[in-house]
Amino acid sequence: MTGDDGVAALRADRLGKRYGRMWALRDCTFSVPAGSVVGLVGPNGAGKTTLLSLTVGLLAATEGEIAVFGQRSRAYTADTLARVSYLAQDHPLYSGFTVADMLHLGRSMNPRWDQALARTRLDRLGIPLERKIKTLSGGQQAQISLTMALAKRAPLLALDEPVASLDPIARLEFMRDVMAASADTGLTVIIASHVISELERLCDWLLLLTAGRLQLAGPVDDLVAAHQVLTVPRATADAELPGTVISRTDSDRHSTVLTAADLGQLASGLRPGWQAEAVSFEQLLIAYLQRPATAPAATEPDDDPARAGQPRSARTGITS
Amino acid sequence: MIWVTWRQHRAQAIVCLALICALALIAIPLGLAMRTTYSNDGLPACLARSGGAGCPAAITSFVNRFGQGVGTLISLPLVAIPVFLGIVVGAPLLGRELERGTWRMAWTQTVPRTRWLITKLGLVTGGLLVFGVAVTSITTWYHEPLDRVTSRLQPIGSYAEGLTFTASLLCAFGLAVLAGLLLRNTIGAMVAAYIAWEIPSAAVLLLNGPIHFPPASTMRIPCRAGCPGARIGSVPPVTGHLGDFVLGVTRSGGELVVSYLPASRFWTVQLIGGGLYLAIAAATLGTAIWLLHQRTT
Repeated sequence: MTGDDGVAALRADRLGKRYGRMWALRDCTFSVPAGSVVGLVGPNGAGKTTLLSLTVGLLAATEGEIAVFGQRSRAYTADTLARVSYLAQDHPLYSGFTVADMLHLGRSMNPRWDQALARTRLDRLGIPLERKIKTLSGGQQAQISLTMALAKRAPLLALDEPVASLDPIARLEFMRDVMAASADTGLTVIIASHVISELERLCDWLLLLTAGRLQLAGPVDDLVAAHQVLTVPRATADAELPGTVISRTDSDRHSTVLTAADLGQLASGLRPGWQAEAVSFEQLLIAYLQRPATAPAATEPDDDPARAGQPRSARTGITS
Repeated sequence: MIWVTWRQHRAQAIVCLALICALALIAIPLGLAMRTTYSNDGLPACLARSGGAGCPAAITSFVNRFGQGVGTLISLPLVAIPVFLGIVVGAPLLGRELERGTWRMAWTQTVPRTRWLITKLGLVTGGLLVFGVAVTSITTWYHEPLDRVTSRLQPIGSYAEGLTFTASLLCAFGLAVLAGLLLRNTIGAMVAAYIAWEIPSAAVLLLNGPIHFPPASTMRIPCRAGCPGARIGSVPPVTGHLGDFVLGVTRSGGELVVSYLPASRFWTVQLIGGGLYLAIAAATLGTAIWLLHQRTT
């Protein structure tokens, strides 16, 4: 499945959101193919929740647009709401409701509600229907929220920090269930998270935001392939290195450089005595997260082959 | 949505039902006793014959017996219930959703938030309306014999026998809903709504009290065979018409100058006060819907 064939599950075009004079998100362009599990990464305040809120129709865009399966998201319209299941941060539920009441709420507020799915899932998790929400653990509440989101039967599932408040076991179980749902039904999932190890296991697509700007967008494998870690003599200037330097750590005699360069650039740019290694997912994320927010990826020319792995739309978004 | 509204407000609905039952339990025996005494004392015949002029003693003893004690006790909750019920139901309707973050769940189901709010407000307003009408009906029925021989322009009559009770309840509700949306906090919304509700209520209180709008009527009674010993509280009123509320009687030359509120004034005051409350209720609820519809942040 690629973003060029058929309709993208999620497509943003110069999407921006301003609060007062502050841009929470700007110039965000990408296109995610259906069936992807997208990791949405960024420091606090980078615009992750804003992007998700725009997607699910909790917010209206200031400029540009975002479309879910080809239909532009419009804040608080029934058709936008029907296309996305959303699990908000801290999985809010009515604490005085019983589990059965929450399911009843889901059924009465969603035309495509799948009651059998919800009952089966809660049964399997051993969550009794007659218990009050406030008497359940955080992990169980998160599972009820996920159950409601899945039973809504929308083609896109958006999760905002779904495991932030959970213990490690609950995290594992929760993420395993998300993956199973995605694999079973071809659901497209977008997960905002700080937990890099979780994302590495789950995601095949990555969106990385810092300070409201999209820094990376593309399939994880392609992004990893388009970056290298070089060990070079310390005296080497950035300009001599192949590709674009993303991060550089200097030690006494050597420097470790993470550069956005594919194998072709690497072959032509590599000097004797330099060592090149493949980058790990974690190294890649950390390098971009630590990169000063003022240095946009836009310094790279549009035809930079280093970015060939990304969809065309992602490139134009970052470089314009 | 109807089920969700019911589930979120059913505890409040049960409390309302309990209040109606409690009121009925007190008012119905009292009303029945009042009716028995009323006919036993021969008041219907006296009123039909002489408009009350023939039996002032019987009327006075009837009013003294039923117009005080429990009757006065009932009037206190009738004043307090509308504002407290209104803010307790109204403030959490949006305030708690915003305060606890449950709006992110509630407004990302398939029902758009504007429809969500309109449905909730419609049903809850309807419930409060039914409650207001029920209380007003019970009180009016219970108090009816007293109303025939005294003026309805007094506490129980003016609070709970016309529009005031229901309109005041809806006004407090509307203010609390809007305050919840603006303050995003339940307790803050309750306090703000209470303070705001005092403004129209002070106006309504003044309308019944020292400021008479429309102004009090005046009647001049010539004293031919010496002026009658008319007092403010004489039964029937010196105006000769049961239901009039006499404010003052002065002697001027050969006549008595009586300042009074005619019985017909009851509905005028109810319409002015009730209209003020209802206008505020409609404006606040409309504003809340509009703000939620417009809000994009």
